[in-house]
Amino acid sequence: MTKKAPVLFDIGWNACINCGACVAICPQEAGFVSAFDTIAVNTPCDIACMLCEDICPVVTITHRPAAANSTTS
Amino acid sequence: MPATPHYDIVVIGSGPAGATTARYAAERGLSVLLVDKRQELGAPVQCSGAVSRHALEEVGIPLEAEFIHEAIFGFGIYNQAGEQKKIDYRLLKPEEYGPEAPKKPLGYVVDRRRFDRYLMTMAERAGVEVWLKTEGLGYRPQPDGSCRVYLRRFNEEIELSAKVLVGADGLQSQVGKWAGLRTHMKITELASCLQFVVDHVETDGLLEIITGHEWAPGGYAWVFPKGYGYAEIGLGVIRTMADDGQSAQEYLDKFIRQSFFKERFADCRVLEIQGGGVPLAAPLRQQFADNLILVGDAARHVNPITGGGIHTALSGGRIAGGFLAGLVDEGRAATEAELEGYQQSWLDELGTKMWKLYDTKTDIFRESDISVRDERLYATMSGYFSPDSEYKKI
Repeated sequence: MTKKAPVLFDIGWNACINCGACVAICPQEAGFVSAFDTIAVNTPCDIACMLCEDICPVVTITHRPAAANSTTS
Repeated sequence: MPATPHYDIVVIGSGPAGATTARYAAERGLSVLLVDKRQELGAPVQCSGAVSRHALEEVGIPLEAEFIHEAIFGFGIYNQAGEQKKIDYRLLKPEEYGPEAPKKPLGYVVDRRRFDRYLMTMAERAGVEVWLKTEGLGYRPQPDGSCRVYLRRFNEEIELSAKVLVGADGLQSQVGKWAGLRTHMKITELASCLQFVVDHVETDGLLEIITGHEWAPGGYAWVFPKGYGYAEIGLGVIRTMADDGQSAQEYLDKFIRQSFFKERFADCRVLEIQGGGVPLAAPLRQQFADNLILVGDAARHVNPITGGGIHTALSGGRIAGGFLAGLVDEGRAATEAELEGYQQSWLDELGTKMWKLYDTKTDIFRESDISVRDERLYATMSGYFSPDSEYKKI
């Protein structure tokens, strides 16, 4: 089974309605939350199941590879 | 060094379940601390606020104008094409239900901000100590049978001792995760919900429920009266059942612009935007651990057919508070084995019926033929709210 690459989530705060659905669906351990009661945005997610993106009623969660800073061009 | 402060019960989360658990325990003489991380309870609103009068009376909540937006007298259940089954108790039982005393409403749509504050106030007046702006950081069972609870109140970290920690911290419960309980929810069982509070949409004292895959796959849409001439228009969808991966927001837009209600909604103006996850799931199989129990949404005490959770939270809180009072009074240990009694009491009174509802719901959504599924959901919803429903009290 291939392990998914860790991702960092980004939340479009203007559209976020603080509904809590992303945290409710998140299979991470306790504490994978931001200061604004969403899923964590500063900690890489190594599960990368993207359920939080799917559940978001206003589609305001996106992600990028957690290792995006180490460019290799 | 001063001794660590001790409480019989520490409750994390002051929603309907937490505040009711705390109140029932305090009324029996227990020392109770109720904490909530928010500065203002009930906000941001993640709920439509519909609750039966019976549910409030059953746990001794006065029917106060302070938190009631509007009285409800029945239901209007619609199928996908807009055909309606009206279940208006003003017509079904005119001697009992009506707007003028001594007749009574069937239920209410409440303002969750005012309602949650009211329940917290009731708990506080019953002797509960309440701390806002206080979040839970963790807990640890101790060899002497108590547990340590770690909190942050504003910016101060605080360590307390307690006999039992109650996790009433909602669907996004972290307390359940601390105890390693299996709180994980399937994407197929968490409805993604969005609602608008609107002006210029007429209602008539009924909770209107609109079924049909086209409008709300895996869930339903609703139009509820919200008082002062306002209404709520909302819906919940299961994303895995949605066509082309559409979001709740896209479905709500479509429901307002294209459904059989499009003329009714033509002048609607959005006053508030609210959302949330609603579990259409089974109750947690294990709602207890050493020194810990879960209540309300955290234990998934939510009706899996309607998604309603206020009544189940209040009843669960009453059961939990009463059980914990007995535990402390009788000097029993707060072990996993003893606390299983709480879950058993809950199953006996409510849970077994909720499991049955879950099986009914699962069976409907397992149907692969969409038109058959739609028909069954419409029939089930219509039957559920009828006067002879066996689930009337859930």
